[in-house]
Amino acid sequence: MAYNELIKNFEKVRAYMREFYVYGFKSRTEYNGKSTRSYDDERRRLESWLGEYMSFTQTPEGKNVFLSVDSRITKKNPFYKAWKAKSFTDGDITLHFVIFDILYEPSIRKTLAELIEDIDQRLDSAMSFDESTLRKKLKEYESEGIVRIEKEGRKVFYSRMPDIDISQLVDAIDFFSEAAPCGVIGSFLQERLQEHEERFSFKHHYITQAMDSAVMETLFEAIRLRRYVTLDNLGKWAGEVKSVCLVPLKIYISAQNGRQNLIAYHERGNRISSYRLDYITNVKLGDPCVEFEQYREILKRAESHMWGVNCKWNPNQTEHVEFEIRVDADEQYIVQRLEREKRCGRVEQVDENHYRYVADVYDTTEMIPWVRSFISRITKMNFSNRSAENLFKTDIQEMYRMYGIEGGDDDAV
Amino acid sequence: MMLFSELYSVYYNTVAKIIECALEPGTTEKELQKCVEENAFSESVMTILPALKSGKWPLLNKDLSPKLEHKPSMPLTLLEQRWLKAILDDPRVRLFGVEFPELEGIEPLFTREDYKIFDQYNDGDPFEDETYIRNFCLIMSAIKECRPVRITMRNRHGKDLWVRFCPKGFEYSLKDDKIRILADGCKFRQFNLGRVTSCQYYNGHGPWRETPKEDVVKTLTLQITDERNALERVMLHFAHFEKQAERVDDRTYLLRMNYYESDETEIVIRVLSFGPCVKVIEPESFIDLIKERLLAQKSCELR
Repeated sequence: MAYNELIKNFEKVRAYMREFYVYGFKSRTEYNGKSTRSYDDERRRLESWLGEYMSFTQTPEGKNVFLSVDSRITKKNPFYKAWKAKSFTDGDITLHFVIFDILYEPSIRKTLAELIEDIDQRLDSAMSFDESTLRKKLKEYESEGIVRIEKEGRKVFYSRMPDIDISQLVDAIDFFSEAAPCGVIGSFLQERLQEHEERFSFKHHYITQAMDSAVMETLFEAIRLRRYVTLDNLGKWAGEVKSVCLVPLKIYISAQNGRQNLIAYHERGNRISSYRLDYITNVKLGDPCVEFEQYREILKRAESHMWGVNCKWNPNQTEHVEFEIRVDADEQYIVQRLEREKRCGRVEQVDENHYRYVADVYDTTEMIPWVRSFISRITKMNFSNRSAENLFKTDIQEMYRMYGIEGGDDDAV
Repeated sequence: MMLFSELYSVYYNTVAKIIECALEPGTTEKELQKCVEENAFSESVMTILPALKSGKWPLLNKDLSPKLEHKPSMPLTLLEQRWLKAILDDPRVRLFGVEFPELEGIEPLFTREDYKIFDQYNDGDPFEDETYIRNFCLIMSAIKECRPVRITMRNRHGKDLWVRFCPKGFEYSLKDDKIRILADGCKFRQFNLGRVTSCQYYNGHGPWRETPKEDVVKTLTLQITDERNALERVMLHFAHFEKQAERVDDRTYLLRMNYYESDETEIVIRVLSFGPCVKVIEPESFIDLIKERLLAQKSCELR
């Protein structure tokens, strides 16, 4: 099939975008399981959409493609462009414009026969549509909320839905299209607005999340309707894709590591588990789940012990974490850091120069990166998960070695 | 209700702009071509206008006038309405002073119960505070009208100070949940909006000779040892920087990334959080910052 810069299925390009942006060190030959033609087509598409962010490096293995974006400067998430590249037929685009040209205001109501006649007239019969094609398109537009279908006796009338003026929302749409979940939808709305200067830029902005927008939107729909879903999940360790049936309860979004997780009840395993959105494909809505509120209540109770995304069914299965840090008199900002950054647990003052953080969490290892951020002032530590504590201490020893810091007390870390 | 739909496509939007442009008498092909160049993808010039001209998409006549009679428009889709309804429930929307009764009866795409930013800091800005909203609105107007402002703010030591400057824009951090005002015409680059206690237009004259000191971009090289899934964690964590990665061998990678000097302390902390899986290779000054912390840690005698 000839190359087309538009695509029918988002999944393939989603995988490539992620590879090029997050990693960007693979050469063409390393895209296992994919034909070189497929690679060339996807690379060309991405270059057409995101050319200004795309670069190449030559390595002994071949040419590597990577995407590099300073999201603090870029006011619009460039990955949203991929969501605006859906393919269509010649009939689809023609019909779209001609339907809304005939139904140009909500008061205009037409029957199917009238529409067919008007379309023929508008297009000088350059392209004609049968009743079935037109009815199907109008039905599709009804489900998208842009066409109204009304039955009066034996007659069916079609009209456009009323227009809503969003011009007063310009700044809000600009802001939330980058700062709210499923922001790509805000980007669709931006296309409808007059050109204007954007006033917001964004720091700590994980634009990769855009690639998982459709997965997130379907999961929100399942949550709204309190339904089961079946989805394909790429297992973290096994590396295999497995189909699972879940009750989606909440989406956990990270502002610090760019990951988004679905927290869901796994009925067969009788557990609450988390699933990375970027590992999920093929989400399908299932039957209503009558126990949804009950499961959500269980999650709500569990949240006070969750540091990250790991959760347990039994709230008593927690691990105790305690560590103390040294804080000089002029370093109150460190205490503020503890207070500001803690997600559960409490901060206690031990003495004039020492503060203790205490918590009971489901998974101590999730907290380790945060504890490490206090390296330079950790004086005591007591984790009930001894392996986690030992690993933490061994890691610090390893860091001393890496940076050539030797000597001192051999037992101290 | 589909998110990946041609209804939102660059092609549909561009064709709408072309028809709108063609409705103007005397529009030339060059002007239509410009619509494609400005609105579509870089390779779209090879498809959109040829499809319209050839009659593949029979929406234009031979003389490039449109077969249609009205400026193209499409009502808001249900998906767009649901997303708007969802953001209207966000406390931050109060900043924009918008109400949208037209969406009555529309179900939001998500509610605050449906998601959680689980690692956001606890001392975010007071988005529903009247003074905060008033200050935001005044500064937003000043940005749009290119007018200077005079703000009074409380610094981190609890002392009040005032400063006059020209606001240029806002910067929002989801992690901090804070808005910063980007400034010009004074020596500071930015101010935390949450620290501003009062704010007025400044009606005095310049000279506005002062400009903020430029934030120097520095480059950092990290060596990643791919243990405990470190490669993926590091690459995702630093994804929002300008960066380039290179494979050294099967389990070792190099990551070169640019960062702003003003964020250096934060980057030191973020690098430390990866423990021994990440080693700073250069610059020497950054290595020294890491060593300084490790030496201080050693002196803590943690056992």
